[in-house]
Amino acid sequence: MYVSQLSLRDFRNYQRLDLHLDPGITLLYGPNAAGKTSLLEALYFLATTRSPRVSADRDLVRWDAVGEAGVTPFARVAAEVQRRAGRVRLEVIVQRRADEAGQLSAASTKIVRIDRRVVRAIDLVGQLRVVLFTPADLTLADGPPSERRRYLDITLSQLDPHYVRTLAHYQKLVQQRNSLLRAWRERRRPPRAVDEELAYWDQELAAAGGYLLAERLRAVRDLNGIVGPLFQAISGGDAPLTIAYLPGFDLEAAHDSGTLATRLGEALRAARPEELARGQTLLGPHRDDLAFTVGSVNLGRYGSRGQQRSVTLTLKLGEARLMRQRSGEAPVLLLDDVLSELDAMRRAHLLEAIRQPEQQTLLSATDLSDFNPAFLAAITRLRVEDGRVYPG
Amino acid sequence: MTFSRGECLIAEPVARLIEEFSKLPGIGPKTASRLTFYLLRAEEEQARALAQALLDLRERVTLCTRCYNITVGELCPICANPARDQTRICVVEEPLDVLAIERTGVYRGLYHVLHGHLAPLEGIYRENLKIDELLARVRAEPVDEVILATNPNTEGEATAFLLLRDLAPLGVRVTRISRGLPTGGDLEWADPDTLGAALEGRREL
Repeated sequence: MYVSQLSLRDFRNYQRLDLHLDPGITLLYGPNAAGKTSLLEALYFLATTRSPRVSADRDLVRWDAVGEAGVTPFARVAAEVQRRAGRVRLEVIVQRRADEAGQLSAASTKIVRIDRRVVRAIDLVGQLRVVLFTPADLTLADGPPSERRRYLDITLSQLDPHYVRTLAHYQKLVQQRNSLLRAWRERRRPPRAVDEELAYWDQELAAAGGYLLAERLRAVRDLNGIVGPLFQAISGGDAPLTIAYLPGFDLEAAHDSGTLATRLGEALRAARPEELARGQTLLGPHRDDLAFTVGSVNLGRYGSRGQQRSVTLTLKLGEARLMRQRSGEAPVLLLDDVLSELDAMRRAHLLEAIRQPEQQTLLSATDLSDFNPAFLAAITRLRVEDGRVYPG
Repeated sequence: MTFSRGECLIAEPVARLIEEFSKLPGIGPKTASRLTFYLLRAEEEQARALAQALLDLRERVTLCTRCYNITVGELCPICANPARDQTRICVVEEPLDVLAIERTGVYRGLYHVLHGHLAPLEGIYRENLKIDELLARVRAEPVDEVILATNPNTEGEATAFLLLRDLAPLGVRVTRISRGLPTGGDLEWADPDTLGAALEGRREL
């Protein structure tokens, strides 16, 4: 799939933009803070309804956006996506909200449309599939576990509408269950009939958690088939890379959703005293982790800086290949200023990987000296300056 | 925009009403001033009627002693109507849900309003809902069927689970409203979970 048209209004530092995009490789170059990353961010936002950079949607609205008469300022992102099944038009509007006194508040509302029809935000996920690679991802191997869970969740959510919905449901269950456990721990509620009160939350948590676990295990298995040899090629001759899923309890080799749900339910009952003492849900997909090993070496802990970069690059390309394998269509690759972070060999691998038919890639860089003339001649170049985009 | 503080440019009763209006949800300072000046110029009767309606709302509206819907007096019109099917109780989260089901015109039984859903995150537990009151009704009244019409979301499902567990020992038939596709909708546009639920809840023709 590829994005043929991107339109922005009051998004980040863009006042107005209507940009035609080619199906192949597009290089966005220009000085820092010109708006290169914002273009990639806009596409990521359309794909996931989240920004990779900010936690509050209101920050996406251009700082001096004025809105229209009687309307609070808003940002609009829209794109036309060409897919095998046909063309689809995606649109998200983030509108800032005013408080009682008419002042802009911290809150914002999001309106999502597919082919001009208003839908829930969750319905947008998976319409446009992207893989984003930024310098922040280079710590994927040795950063906090939440980043590795996010890696799997973002991939699976874009591939499977049931996964993203179950994940949202699961997160809600964990929150409700945690506040129940916390109320007992802080003695705001007498710990009577604990098992009875937890029965529903445990049952639902186990069912949803079992499904998420099964899907994650399946993804790790498929990814292992892809990333092993890919890593050898990228890192130049090391042993293959292996991803291991690290659950917080013994799965006893179960891999189907029903058995995993039963195992999670049992583990939760066994962990009850500790959960009551700590006032939180200690087991389940929201606590799990991934480990990356080459041979017998855990790269998260013992890998060199170079090896960890190879791991991230492998995982990102692997993610793209998994999406292509499962859906039959390549996702759009968004590479944000990562080439300058890679050495010549890894850079060559990355550029090789994106030069495939039916692979749309948008990459950003501050200058053109990272690229050889033959590469530059074969791609589309766009110069980005101060919230404007110029050809060439 | 505050009229009551600092140098008072507007007569105090006017400023006070504007301030009261702007405390209401969805009403900003502009609308509050517009409403206030409208009432200032309108027939005196209109302002009196509004004031009386507000007082009545707080003084006369109570909860029905049987189903806990909002009403005036002891029993709500539905509970007081002997023509309603006394063997069915439809359990809902809020009074507005009663109106929604009444609008369908297909239900002739009674209701029970829980006044919320199970949500530890919001500090709402079983004892904050009218659940024991429902159990007492099922024991005392000639009820054959309890229909659980809580919302099809995480909290609504949790509440339904709790109700089913409490109702099961009483030997009453417990049903759950089905989830499915909206009338006039397109299969193509249904989200996969709704479509899945509609398939699971399919019936013989």
